[in-house]
Amino acid sequence: MLSPEQMSRVLIAAPKDVMEPVISELHRQRLFHIEDFVENDEEEYAGYRIGVPLEGAKEISKDLLRLRSVTGAFSLRAEDLDPSGKIRKSQLTAQIEQELPGIEMEVEELLSRRTELENHVKELEQKIEALTPFSEMRADLALLHGYRTLAVFAGYLSKKVDIGVPCEEYYSESKKGNFLVAVVPVEYRQEVERKLLDAQFQTVPVPDESGPAKERISVYNVQIETDRKDLEEIATQLDALKSQYSEFLIACDELLSIDAQKAEVPLRFATTDHAFIADGWVPSHTLSSLTDGINAVSGGRAFVAKLPIQKERDVVPVEYDNINFAKPTQFLMDIYSRPKYTELDPTLIVAIVFPIFFGLILGDVGYGALLLVASFGLRKLLKGSDGKMLLDIMRNASISSIFFGILFSEIFGFKLPWAPILPSRHLNIGGEGGHGPAIPELMIMCVWIGIIHITAGRILGILNHARRAQGGAFDIEEASEHHGNQRSHHVRAMLANLGWIMVMWGILVMIWSAFPMPLMPDLTGFAPLVMGLTLPLIIGILLVVPGVVFIFRESALELVELPTILSHVLSYARLVGVGVSSVAIAMVINFITIGLIIEPQLENLTIFGAIIIAVGVIVWIIGQILNTILGMIGGGLQSLRLQYVEFFTKFYKGGGKKYSPFGEIRRFTED
Amino acid sequence: MVGEELVGLTPEMIEASQAGMKAIGAAIAVGSTGLASAAAEMAIGSAAVGATAENKDVFGLVLLLTVIPETIVIFGLVVALLLIF
Repeated sequence: MLSPEQMSRVLIAAPKDVMEPVISELHRQRLFHIEDFVENDEEEYAGYRIGVPLEGAKEISKDLLRLRSVTGAFSLRAEDLDPSGKIRKSQLTAQIEQELPGIEMEVEELLSRRTELENHVKELEQKIEALTPFSEMRADLALLHGYRTLAVFAGYLSKKVDIGVPCEEYYSESKKGNFLVAVVPVEYRQEVERKLLDAQFQTVPVPDESGPAKERISVYNVQIETDRKDLEEIATQLDALKSQYSEFLIACDELLSIDAQKAEVPLRFATTDHAFIADGWVPSHTLSSLTDGINAVSGGRAFVAKLPIQKERDVVPVEYDNINFAKPTQFLMDIYSRPKYTELDPTLIVAIVFPIFFGLILGDVGYGALLLVASFGLRKLLKGSDGKMLLDIMRNASISSIFFGILFSEIFGFKLPWAPILPSRHLNIGGEGGHGPAIPELMIMCVWIGIIHITAGRILGILNHARRAQGGAFDIEEASEHHGNQRSHHVRAMLANLGWIMVMWGILVMIWSAFPMPLMPDLTGFAPLVMGLTLPLIIGILLVVPGVVFIFRESALELVELPTILSHVLSYARLVGVGVSSVAIAMVINFITIGLIIEPQLENLTIFGAIIIAVGVIVWIIGQILNTILGMIGGGLQSLRLQYVEFFTKFYKGGGKKYSPFGEIRRFTED
Repeated sequence: MVGEELVGLTPEMIEASQAGMKAIGAAIAVGSTGLASAAAEMAIGSAAVGATAENKDVFGLVLLLTVIPETIVIFGLVVALLLIF
């Protein structure tokens, strides 16, 4: 909790003849995060080269490529499929040899036939397009080309022109434009061209066909129709193949991908002629099981050593270490940035605070219940771990929304039978809602939340630097004068964080001593002590001045940021602002549909009135659903923003490297 | 002069027009700060999307940069709420 999983740097050295079993074991355990070996000129790396892939890697890759062309055509994805059971590797390998080539050939044949047909249809459609301008002309198209003594003009023009030379012409007017076909003796060509140019003549090429255009078009249309039928037939065949083989294909894909991964992993190892070295990370508490596993498969011929972590050089991969409740929130952390290895991991705090803020914004029993149902209903649609995490976050948030809905006494913008326990958010819309919302109380409540949240962030900032001053999460002693420097830097940073807290609370005390406010301590009643200053004012000044000095000592530039104390605290007012606007929308929907549409009809009911009532109900449902979606987006994003911007900026940097162990979870196959 | 013009007004009318002025003031506070935030976030937001497309890791940073001008509208909202209630 609050810090990432502890990692150990591990070096595995073994003779090459046990490379394959060791790789298989690493893949099976799925614990070893490999550090890629990079060839370099440093003395300690002399003589080591990057490894070469295992035997058969090429064939596996080729097979995989062919298989992927099939799964690609079916747009098959492993996430969309629930395995009905696991196939044994030996059985699947046999099947791959016997069945896969046949399936591949069948699919390829269908695909190439499909491309052929699609091209043919496109060709025919182009021909029809070329023929369409001539469709009203009854003459045979063969009469329009192949002359030496005659020139043929075909095209659209803006208005009818008198060509003025001996000619045969066809002219028609339609919406598309005025279409002209004229056949003139060749000697008049230039004269006609000039005349047509004046009428903005746009040439249309004469299709190289024979017979009337209309006839040709219908012939082509019949051909397109047959092609389309064939295409449909192919689509059903492909669908049948897909539903028949999808699980088998995905299983093959899994098996071959794993084989390919295993075969190519030596590219990340350092090798000599007879041995190889794999460098990487494992979570410290799993180190012994990794060692035991490797010793077992290599017959004790592999050497597994734990190396000290070098703080300056090593980038430790980060894996979360959270209780189950906080695990879904890791998704929100990864969106921002994974914590560094030396940093506090605030996942648990976000997991608690995010739903609370969401509930404060969308505190409504009705909307909360709708979202809760949705978070369970969407589980069938959203597969994969990210989707599941998101839905878990949504579930927690909607439970919190129901809880705060009870406290705010709100259901779809209506009042629940009890008075709000928290300050009321009911507005005075349509003569209902009593006194209107208790805005000052709500605001002060949010300011308090802001003050506490920000103070917590700063305290975490102090803890963060304290950890690092002690060497952080590294389990080794660093002995260097560099360390001393680092230490004083961390102490200054801790004091700066304390300074920020002191300035914030100092300003608060000073404000309290000047103005009485609801829900806040009233310190206005004190008599002046010295120079007209009251005791609280003096305490405030005594907090602010050293606070500013602490901040200044860390970095003078930080002083520019002093106004953010005010803006960050006031930023929590969005909890009220967005919340009240959501309530307002709900109440307006209720007032328009129930107050203005439904209730007047109920007074003396007619058939026409019943229809209007039905319309009112539909408008109400659509309006409330829209407001639920708005509330979810608004509540989610604003709450998240308060974590990312107001909270994280106080202590959190992120930028840790993700721990991604070598190996894959097998879903469709087993050894 | 001013007195003469006010002669025709009852206290209720004066109260109502004060409430109206407050509402207009609140509307200006939220509306103008909203426009200002929008104008500022427009440029930052489009650059932020571009940067995220190039490198997903900067999402957290660019989100911070994008929402910085939002403070303006929050202040406007605070002023408006305090004006009305």
